Amino acid sequence: MDWRQLWEICSAPDNVPIVGLIPLLGFYIYLAVKQARANDQLIEQLEADPAMAKTHHRKTWPFKPGWAKEVHVWPFLLRIEFLAAIIVTIILMIWSITLNAPLEEPANPNLTMNPAKAPWYFLGLQEMLVYFDPWIAGVVMPTMIIIGLMVIPYIDTNPLGSGYYTWKQRKFSISTFMFGFVILWVAMIIIGTFIRGPGWQWFWPGQTWDHNRLIYEVNRDLPDLFGLTSNMAKAVFGGIVVVGFYLVGGGAVYSLFRRKMQKDFQRMSLLQFSLMAFLWLTMIALPLKMALRLLWHIKYVWITPWFNV
Amino acid sequence: MAEKPIPEQDPITGKSYAIHYLIATVILIGTLFWALYDEAWGQRPWKAFQDQWKDRYGAFLNTAKSSSAKSEQSVEQDPQYATLKQAYDQAYQESKTKGDESRKKLDDASARLLAVQSVFTDRRAYVNALTYELETSTSASSKASKQKEIDSYKAEQATVEFSDGSRKKFTFPQLEETYNEIRDERTKLSLELGDVLKPVTAAKAKMDDYISDHMVDLTPAQIEGLKKKTTDWDPTIVQINVAEANIVDRCESCHMGAREPLRITEAAMTSKGAKKPDEYAQAFVSHPEPELLQIHDPDKFGCSPCHQGNGRATTSVEKAHGNYEHWLWPLYPKENSQAGCQSCHSADMVLASGDVQWHTINDGKDLFRQRGCMGCHRYEGYDKEPEDLNSVGQQIKQIETQKKDDVKQAADLMKHADAAESNEEANKLNEKAIALKVANSKADGRLQQLDFQSHSLMQDQKKVGPNLKDVRLKLNKNWIPVWLKKPSDFRPTTKMPNFRLSDRQIQAISAYIWQTGFTDELPKQKPGNAAHGKELFESRGCLACHSIGEGDQMQGGVFSANLTRVGEKANYDYLVRWIHNARQRTRPYCPYEKKDIGPEDYAKKGLPYQFDLDHSRCPNDGHELQVQNMTVMPSLRLSPEDAEDIATYLMTQKKQEPSSYANAVFMDDPALKEEGKKWVRFYGCGGCHEISGMEDEGRIGTELTYEGSKPIERLDFALFTEVSQRGGKDSEPIKDKDDLARLPDGPATEPWYDHKGFFEHKLAEPNIYDQGKVKGETEALRMPNLHLTKDQVLDLTTFLLGSQETSLPQSYQYKPGDARHDIQEGWWVVKKYNCMGCHQFIPGQRTILMGLKQYQDVQEQLPPKLLTEGARVDPEWLRKFLSNPALSTTDTNRNGVRPYLKVRMPTFSFSDNELRKLVRFFEALSQQPLPYIPEEVPALTTKETDMARSLFSSTAAPCLKCHATGDATHDKIATAPNFLLAKERLKPDWVERWITDPQAVSPGTSMPSGLFKQQNNQWVFAGPTPPTFNGFEGDHRKLLTDYIFQLTAEEQRRVAASMPHARAAVQPSTNHKQAVVEAQHATNGGSR
Repeated sequence: MDWRQLWEICSAPDNVPIVGLIPLLGFYIYLAVKQARANDQLIEQLEADPAMAKTHHRKTWPFKPGWAKEVHVWPFLLRIEFLAAIIVTIILMIWSITLNAPLEEPANPNLTMNPAKAPWYFLGLQEMLVYFDPWIAGVVMPTMIIIGLMVIPYIDTNPLGSGYYTWKQRKFSISTFMFGFVILWVAMIIIGTFIRGPGWQWFWPGQTWDHNRLIYEVNRDLPDLFGLTSNMAKAVFGGIVVVGFYLVGGGAVYSLFRRKMQKDFQRMSLLQFSLMAFLWLTMIALPLKMALRLLWHIKYVWITPWFNV
Repeated sequence: MAEKPIPEQDPITGKSYAIHYLIATVILIGTLFWALYDEAWGQRPWKAFQDQWKDRYGAFLNTAKSSSAKSEQSVEQDPQYATLKQAYDQAYQESKTKGDESRKKLDDASARLLAVQSVFTDRRAYVNALTYELETSTSASSKASKQKEIDSYKAEQATVEFSDGSRKKFTFPQLEETYNEIRDERTKLSLELGDVLKPVTAAKAKMDDYISDHMVDLTPAQIEGLKKKTTDWDPTIVQINVAEANIVDRCESCHMGAREPLRITEAAMTSKGAKKPDEYAQAFVSHPEPELLQIHDPDKFGCSPCHQGNGRATTSVEKAHGNYEHWLWPLYPKENSQAGCQSCHSADMVLASGDVQWHTINDGKDLFRQRGCMGCHRYEGYDKEPEDLNSVGQQIKQIETQKKDDVKQAADLMKHADAAESNEEANKLNEKAIALKVANSKADGRLQQLDFQSHSLMQDQKKVGPNLKDVRLKLNKNWIPVWLKKPSDFRPTTKMPNFRLSDRQIQAISAYIWQTGFTDELPKQKPGNAAHGKELFESRGCLACHSIGEGDQMQGGVFSANLTRVGEKANYDYLVRWIHNARQRTRPYCPYEKKDIGPEDYAKKGLPYQFDLDHSRCPNDGHELQVQNMTVMPSLRLSPEDAEDIATYLMTQKKQEPSSYANAVFMDDPALKEEGKKWVRFYGCGGCHEISGMEDEGRIGTELTYEGSKPIERLDFALFTEVSQRGGKDSEPIKDKDDLARLPDGPATEPWYDHKGFFEHKLAEPNIYDQGKVKGETEALRMPNLHLTKDQVLDLTTFLLGSQETSLPQSYQYKPGDARHDIQEGWWVVKKYNCMGCHQFIPGQRTILMGLKQYQDVQEQLPPKLLTEGARVDPEWLRKFLSNPALSTTDTNRNGVRPYLKVRMPTFSFSDNELRKLVRFFEALSQQPLPYIPEEVPALTTKETDMARSLFSSTAAPCLKCHATGDATHDKIATAPNFLLAKERLKPDWVERWITDPQAVSPGTSMPSGLFKQQNNQWVFAGPTPPTFNGFEGDHRKLLTDYIFQLTAEEQRRVAASMPHARAAVQPSTNHKQAVVEAQHATNGGSR
């Protein structure tokens, strides 16, 4: 265990945000889960007692006579937000006094740094470059992420859970979000920051980042495993696999909704459902592709002259 | 939630956040102050330095002042000062009344001027503003109204209140006039006052000058000035900004003492009670070499061009020194600080300022050449000859081909012309053919030029190691593999490095070298007299370059081989030839055909088998041959018998018998030859040695001209990258005890992942970066172990650290166009031939011979000092002397100028090129103008000649007692050159200076000083003048000089015959003991 190496990565001024992010993320998930559980219990209670539901005054607190049914934003919300603003200002000031901007040497096109890393918030995207060709990882996927985020209000037909924490009422949305943000985005940033060393090789935490390290790793394409050699055959095969994934996956999503989320499903139009299913499957495809690459050294599934997937 | 009791009060409306706000606000305000502190001091650590500077330097100046006051008092005690003081007092008294009067007048005028001025400038400003409005107004009517306004304002009366209380009214024009009047009056008055006080100020200046001239340190007044400057200092960034070179250096913001006129030491700056000097004390010292700063004015050169570091950074010591990860030019460590010289002085071989030589960088540069680094590594400026020769060779080839084509074409054209149909056409073709022939004869001229060039280049081209084509003739065959195993085992000081060869490689390499060697017959030599050989070896000057004896017993120079065990390896017959003339080649080499030319090639053309510098044309193609061994070893012009004696002596130098070496039969195995060739090429042996088949091999190493500015990532630390970055007690990879001892700072404990660390480790153990790696024979690092000492590693590291691509403009490079360029070039030649082994060029420079014990009592037997050589001798004569130091073509077994010296000025057979460089070097070193126009020496009348002769031979100045006369017996005991040489050799004005005060020109000379004294602006003889001088008013010194320049051999013989001392000195002084010994030796037939 190379503690010095670990310390060097964690203490780099570049990596302060990501190092801070990990405990903060855990803390806020804990907080959200805690509140969601309380709310869920309350919802159960109110569902059992319709009379109380009419007089109940707050989202989380149990009923108490004499309490105001609602409270004003000012001062009750803003005073807390202002306190938070002060504390954040303090943190930012101390941060900017103690840590200087991590500037490096003048750029030299003849001597590039190794590993060359993007700013921490882009390391997830950079990590994606390992699994897809730049056209897919650099253009198509980010575009799909942005479009996907933009269409959420239009495909999310569930009217519940607005303004309070709940798990029961929004299981699908929350698990999708947790998967997309925590598992994919944050985890990939963590991989990019802590795991990827010189030569963008995989170093386990605590392994020395040795610039001279040599590893033996041969990557194959999926069609190669099936002995396909002609470009045409590779393209057709890959297309079948990818389309097949979406068809089979689409079927699975359909049956999931039909069986478990009947209400949501009924509220959705065909366009809303198919858009959701497509985006959701694309998101699922990313870790699948990562697993193929990392565990079975499969580089591409679908090879065409224009793009590789 | 269920477990928790529900609060009675509404927690959202009822909870108070006052305490939270209080704490958060207090912390926020705290960070605000922290931010302010950080802005003012945290990011500006130099402020703390400047505060400390004011304290410590102020205290230092106080103590300095009291000691300075004491020494000032002692100067004031001086009677000379008293006279000055008296003069000052007198002048002061004389001018007192007049001065007071005019000073009073001046004060009065000043007061009046002040009063008028304040009113005048105010009103003038108003007038000017109105005038501007007038100028810019557009309509005629408004112009007119403005004009009126101005006029009325000017006519208005203004009151001026004078300092005595009186008031007076003026209109504007009156005011202007009065103002100008008073101003002129004041100027006149102050000039008057100056005139009155002139003698006083002059006397005062004389007094002050006297004090500052007679005090070692600064005067109390000067120190007071410094103190005031220090106390008044406001913290501010001190910056040197040179726009043309993009230098912005703020170093002096902390290093406040760097340029102070007082010498400030760490101890003086350490605060009282502190045990060790802290970082402030270390920062405040003055620059250790103030003389260097005088040549390199910091206002022009800044600091970082020499020292490196980040001159702009002010936020921390680490940043400013550039010792952080991403700064490419970190401060040179103190011990390597001379590396900075290299960035501008790469063209200089020797760096000296005044009498100070910069040894670290000089030795680094010298080692790079002497140790043969340039054999493998190209470095701009080093070993240029092979490259130049190559390009000359290519040009020759090109022209030859062109010529051949032209000849063929011309023949074709002629043929066509013969067959042409019309006369006109035939003429045209003929003309073309003739044009081609003319072009060819031009090409011939160019070829001749190129051949001439290559003649010089070939002469200048030297190899660090011996010629291995001669191995069969010169070496004990069985010794070769033993030597290759580890050369430093046989000869600890050898230049030949250790290549870590395997036994197989040794066998193969020795087989290749042995089998490709010349097999020519050597003439057999008679055995000589070893005892006489030893004496010659020790007295002829061999020890200036060579050493003998090992360990403590070693004496002599390290420039060339240590000869302690030469008897084990050498072949006697070859050794004799080598000592007699090392440049003599066995066979000449033709670079054009790339082969060694033998007698058969000469025989084919019917030419005699003769090759030397005058017969250097190839019999096959007519181009220049390499006719000399490429060694710097000169010919000492020994007689064949003397050479035999020395060789016989050297053959006795051995620790074991040559026959005791194991028989190396494999060297004749033809199967090994091919493999050997591979290894000889692989290890780049041809870089230092001449080897058959390897004459045109390129350098195998990386170019080092800009090695210091290579990015650190390009330096391969291999498996030690991490280790060297982390430091600690396990970070030293070198395990070998000998190699460890080569590290200048000892085993590493700190991180050493930098250029210095890389170079030092590489030089200490060149294959260190292979440690732990699995590599094949041909992949391993090839750099051999040069068995350097600690100091040498430091020198070379410094040299390499400084080898940087500089960002400074070209004009900062030291490339003078004047005589200093000749000095630059000359040093390369001087160092190349180790001239400094025998001669002194710079005051204070020690020669190797000076250090030998045989010269301790007989200093006059040392070779002459060349400090003023350029001023002393005629450059044309010097050129002749350098090309033939015997000054004779027939009698060569002697020194041309100083036959009485046993040490011999050798014949180096310099090329014309190097001769020119050397002559110009000496002229430039003595600041002599070129070309030299000899002074006309007036012919003396008979009377004058008689007088001069009587002086020349007088008992008070018996010149011929010491100076050689050409008489063999006398010259044995002479200690000075023959006068007959003077006319051609010396510059008359130098001779005059010389005979006046030889000690000043050449300290330690045996020529007596004080022969002349000054009388009525004439130099007259200090001893009793001969009677012929009665009534002579002229300059004795000039007369004698002129006489010497007109001396003929006949005249000299006559004078010598008339002098009792001239022939064999009756009473040799103790100084001459050595000479007498040799004289006796001569009569015993020792010298044959």
